Amino acid sequence: MSFKTVHRLFWDFENEQRWINEHAARGEHLVRHTWGTYVFEQGKPGEWTYRMELLGASPRKPETRSYLEFLAESGIETVAVSEQWAYHRKRAADGPFELYSDLDSRLAHYKRVLALYVSLTAALLPLSVVTIDNLLDAGRALWFVLPLSAVYFIIAGLFAAQTLRVGKRIRTLEAQREVFE
Amino acid sequence: MSTETHGPLTETVFYVLLALHEPLHGYGVMQYVGELSGGRVTLGPGTLYGALTSLAEKGWIEPVAGDTGDRKKEYVITHAGREAVRLELERLEELLRNGRRVAKEERR
Repeated sequence: MSFKTVHRLFWDFENEQRWINEHAARGEHLVRHTWGTYVFEQGKPGEWTYRMELLGASPRKPETRSYLEFLAESGIETVAVSEQWAYHRKRAADGPFELYSDLDSRLAHYKRVLALYVSLTAALLPLSVVTIDNLLDAGRALWFVLPLSAVYFIIAGLFAAQTLRVGKRIRTLEAQREVFE
Repeated sequence: MSTETHGPLTETVFYVLLALHEPLHGYGVMQYVGELSGGRVTLGPGTLYGALTSLAEKGWIEPVAGDTGDRKKEYVITHAGREAVRLELERLEELLRNGRRVAKEERR
């Protein structure tokens, strides 16, 4: 049983999911995740398929626990939960792995993700005033303030970009919903 | 009898209600619907969990008082649920009748 640890941060959960599945296809199966750290266990290539899901509430809540137990009944193992992001896996031999089979439930999940990104972007917004103010008043401290401001704007930009991306995905699905279920 | 007018039921809800004419647990519902639809409808567990929760809230299904040893929660359809299915079947029959009549005529 050999393990491999990778340090990486993702802003886009669908990229992250794709990356985790690429590892699984090579036989490296995610078994642990904490912020910025992924632990993979060496195994058979393609044995597991992974899906990520933003849970509606903390896994400590009984409702969430009952949901995770319900998933387990279908052979879905939840290898980790970080900040309400659940990392589920299912044996590829059990068939295709899709949590959501209709537009309404897929939309509900995307809307939950959007709400998260919006709240993160909004939390960062007041900092923009402080940051710009600092930049303007920096004077000789500019060597210090400039990189910090750059970091702030990059992070805020990434969150804003994800908010827009998910928003667009939702609009596409809602357009579909006009016609299909 | 409820005077509230329902809209169409979603396919997910309709099939879940059909499945629960006998007590079943979640995985059982997925299998039943898969078989009934000839493999066309594969209920996702996330979708199914949401549907079961909503239907229980509406009183169209209810949990079955099972053995304490059996961890899997089973549900079964209620009288209100059967009524909803009955109304839905009427609606579907209307659609089918009209669809067959109109779409059968050759139109340029």
